[in-house]
Amino acid sequence: MALLELEEVRAGYGPTSVLHGIALEVPEGGVVSLLGANGAGKTTTLRAITGGVRWTGDIRFRGHSLRRMATEEIVRRGIAHVPEGRGICTELTVDENLRLGSHLRRDGPEVKKDYDRVFEYFPVLKQRRRLSASTLSGGEQQMLALARAFLMRPKLMLLDEPSLGLAPIIVRSIFEIIRSINETSQVAVLLVEQNARIALDLSMTAYVLEVGRVAVHGAAAELRGDDSVRRSYLGY
Amino acid sequence: MQEFLQQLVGGLAIGGIFASLALALVLIYNAMGLVNFAQGEMAMLATFVAYALVSQGMSYWIAFPVTLVLAFAGGIGVQRLVIKPVERAPILTLVIITLGLATLVNGLAGFIWGYVPRSFPSPFSSESVDLVGVFVSYRDLGVIAVSGIVLLAVYLLLQRTTVGLTLRAAAHHPEASRLLGVHVSWMLALGWGLASAVGAVSGIMVAPILLLEPNMMQSIIIYAFAAAVLGGIESPPGAVVGGLIVGVTINLAGAYLPFVGGDLQLAVGLAIIIGVLILKPNGLFGRAAVRRV
Repeated sequence: MALLELEEVRAGYGPTSVLHGIALEVPEGGVVSLLGANGAGKTTTLRAITGGVRWTGDIRFRGHSLRRMATEEIVRRGIAHVPEGRGICTELTVDENLRLGSHLRRDGPEVKKDYDRVFEYFPVLKQRRRLSASTLSGGEQQMLALARAFLMRPKLMLLDEPSLGLAPIIVRSIFEIIRSINETSQVAVLLVEQNARIALDLSMTAYVLEVGRVAVHGAAAELRGDDSVRRSYLGY
Repeated sequence: MQEFLQQLVGGLAIGGIFASLALALVLIYNAMGLVNFAQGEMAMLATFVAYALVSQGMSYWIAFPVTLVLAFAGGIGVQRLVIKPVERAPILTLVIITLGLATLVNGLAGFIWGYVPRSFPSPFSSESVDLVGVFVSYRDLGVIAVSGIVLLAVYLLLQRTTVGLTLRAAAHHPEASRLLGVHVSWMLALGWGLASAVGAVSGIMVAPILLLEPNMMQSIIIYAFAAAVLGGIESPPGAVVGGLIVGVTINLAGAYLPFVGGDLQLAVGLAIIIGVLILKPNGLFGRAAVRRV
């Protein structure tokens, strides 16, 4: 049984339907990327998983259907969603943002270890702990969002375009850290990306969406090697 | 000089009362971008509850916390029953609903207790104490102390506890908070409960001065609006500073400006609202509203 399973998922906003029956799976501890052009439905797929948009079909997490569940309940079951735009609370300090990530945890000593790891990954966050999160640069905000998601100790992370708007060197270091989180903490990752090349490097499997449907899916290495797929869907 | 200092202390005492009610307004404004026009009436109702408890023979210092707990529960009840069903409605609808709520609560209190002003007990003696040459009444000092403790408690709750953190996150960033597992809807209810309890403090503190009757808070709410607007409507510390400034200002204006006296103090409060909105619409502690278009 996969950690996350989507079956015939249809979703949309009001009368506009965006997803026309998506099926995908994220295995336990796996990294799966969701690729495709603007408007293909990548973000909507993530939003459906955490209950941000109404859907039909079925979405199961660890075998339990997420139908009709409120976002906060879904999240409490172990899904950390870093949304489009990063979802940083700019009214709060860096430290308060991190504490929001760990506020539901009761395993005190483990939380402390995780903070140490977060500051190892992102030393800049330690320096800026007391500052308002609104003073962080785009790259630092992405780091904060990732750190906060890590502190939730999720089984699955949904990452919506972590590379958006960032300098290539920062993108590379952020993806290194995503890889490290996945490998050392067994956190599965469902990654939405425009930057197909870097996403495929990190993933085991990938799904390519085209106007609300899965156009192609398979092992990341295969998709990377397939010239026609690359040219028609991935644009590099 | 002495008289000036006495007026100053009196102003701080009444300012603490305004600050409590202004803080209640700010808490709700932060949670839903809306001024709760029923805040004063809810405080008045809570004061009548305290009055009923004390007249049943309950000691003042027991009736006081019991009333705050009841006001807290009442605030949560109002949010769940009245506000939540319409929380996605346009802002004007919500404004009308809080105005309606104010009228309803006012009428309810009048129906139960009538409109004859009643004297409300104060736990502090009306004698004065000589503080290095300035005579200050125990009543003023008591009011300053009680408001100070309540405001400090709210500050610690919001800034130093996890509940306070999630409350602030839910108020400012509901979508992001949901994704972090915060029960946003319950946090908003908690905000209403907290606002209702803090507002009740202002009612209980002002009742011995004004006499208790259903329209008691109608001038106080104007001063509280002035305080909240002066502080920047979104800022809890701003509400407190604004409350103290408004309190001192109207007290000094009443004492030293012969044409103001006791009658035109309310006009001073309204003048502060208008002046701030014209000259510095974001108040002392507010930030300029920036919106991407």
